[in-house]
Amino acid sequence: MRPIVGITSYVEPASWGVWIDQDAALIRKSYVDAVTAAGARAVILPPDDTDADVLRALDALIIAGGADLGPDLYGEEPGPLTDSRPDRDRGESLLLQAALRTDLPVLGICRGMQLLAVTCGGRLHQHLPDVVGSDKHRPGPGVYGWHGITLEPGSLAAEVAGDGPEGDGRIEVNTYHHQGVADPGSLTVTAWADDGVVEAVEDPTKPFVLGVQWHPEEAGERRIFESLVDAART
Amino acid sequence: MSRPVIGLTTYAEEARFGLNDTFAAVLPLAYVQAVHNSGGRAVLITPDAPDVDALDGLDGIVFTGGSDVDPALYGEPAHPTTQVKPERDAAELLLLRAALAADLPTLAICRGMQLMTVAYGGKLHQHLPEVLGHDNHRPVSGPKFGFHRVDLAPGSLARGLLGESVEVNSFHHQGVADPGKLTATGWCPEDNLIEVVEDPALRFAIGVQWHPEDTTDHRLFAALVGMTSSS
Repeated sequence: MRPIVGITSYVEPASWGVWIDQDAALIRKSYVDAVTAAGARAVILPPDDTDADVLRALDALIIAGGADLGPDLYGEEPGPLTDSRPDRDRGESLLLQAALRTDLPVLGICRGMQLLAVTCGGRLHQHLPDVVGSDKHRPGPGVYGWHGITLEPGSLAAEVAGDGPEGDGRIEVNTYHHQGVADPGSLTVTAWADDGVVEAVEDPTKPFVLGVQWHPEEAGERRIFESLVDAART
Repeated sequence: MSRPVIGLTTYAEEARFGLNDTFAAVLPLAYVQAVHNSGGRAVLITPDAPDVDALDGLDGIVFTGGSDVDPALYGEPAHPTTQVKPERDAAELLLLRAALAADLPTLAICRGMQLMTVAYGGKLHQHLPEVLGHDNHRPVSGPKFGFHRVDLAPGSLARGLLGESVEVNSFHHQGVADPGKLTATGWCPEDNLIEVVEDPALRFAIGVQWHPEDTTDHRLFAALVGMTSSS
């Protein structure tokens, strides 16, 4: 029996087949395929804030990318460019808090990493270009930015992302975000872009709690998902 | 007592949402809301064959609507209007057979009902307008759904849940020609098309041709969730 890995879903109007602008629960198939390729079975978790009972059916949790977090989660007013989804915020916060309490392996991707930071008491920058003076983390609508990051030696992030071609802990990643982690709360930052933007956070006291600001599911990175699935097996 | 976890099979198709145009696992939110409003917790099951381990954590499962079932599965050539997703058929048939073998409470909707029929050795009409002479089950103009009555057989699961008859919303161009080893328990009185099939040997295995998720009548979902929580 393969481990079961839950992936949180988007809720957005979508068009597919005969359906036009239909309210839908959905996720890029690349997340599912990454989990499948790592030897686990993905199930998708639409937002729901009743309880976290569904975790009993799961061996690991992926908090997926998506819209901005509501700044109410870290006690701030929304900025002019902040676009949030309160239903996802409520449902995913509930799942993540319960997963952290029970030591369920957790991988946060992009928005998911930001939720990890906020859930652990941190805060976000609501619009990175205002902070770093560049849009290299999201060069344009629907366009990933590729840039270098430096990984902390010995960290979980370095273990799953590798030492890079030069063996110096520097790798290139694909990012697509206009917000970023300002304060990681109780988590440890273990990767940075050259402009200082936080690229990975983790909790070294837990078996597997990792957030990455980039998109390994779109880049065909396998080791990060294999490591999550390994943790899910124990 | 924790909340029953109900699996919903999904489409895997090219989808457009926001700035994305990508291959996605996608399902109308109405199915999710129907499960949540009925006291269950919805999880989405993608068509990744061959695989039944997704059933492990589930207390019940819903086979959802979608494309036509591949007529090769009941030994017929495809009608020109038939549009199939063979990967989804294969994955869902595997899940459906395993769910039925385990007597997992199962609700099958529209395409799901047709797939259930095929799994029990039945056959489908591939294009109802040619069989019935009208398009009331999927109007080509006007509102999306066709609306009509369904009469339910005395003593059936459907009758116990829904009463003598029910007004339903239809959106399908194929239909059940032969229910195979299932029992037909509901019909459209205007054309005698089969609208409900059941396996009375199982605790809860029922297929309906209409779309209860897209109505405010969630009795079938409530019954599915209730069945799982009483087990």
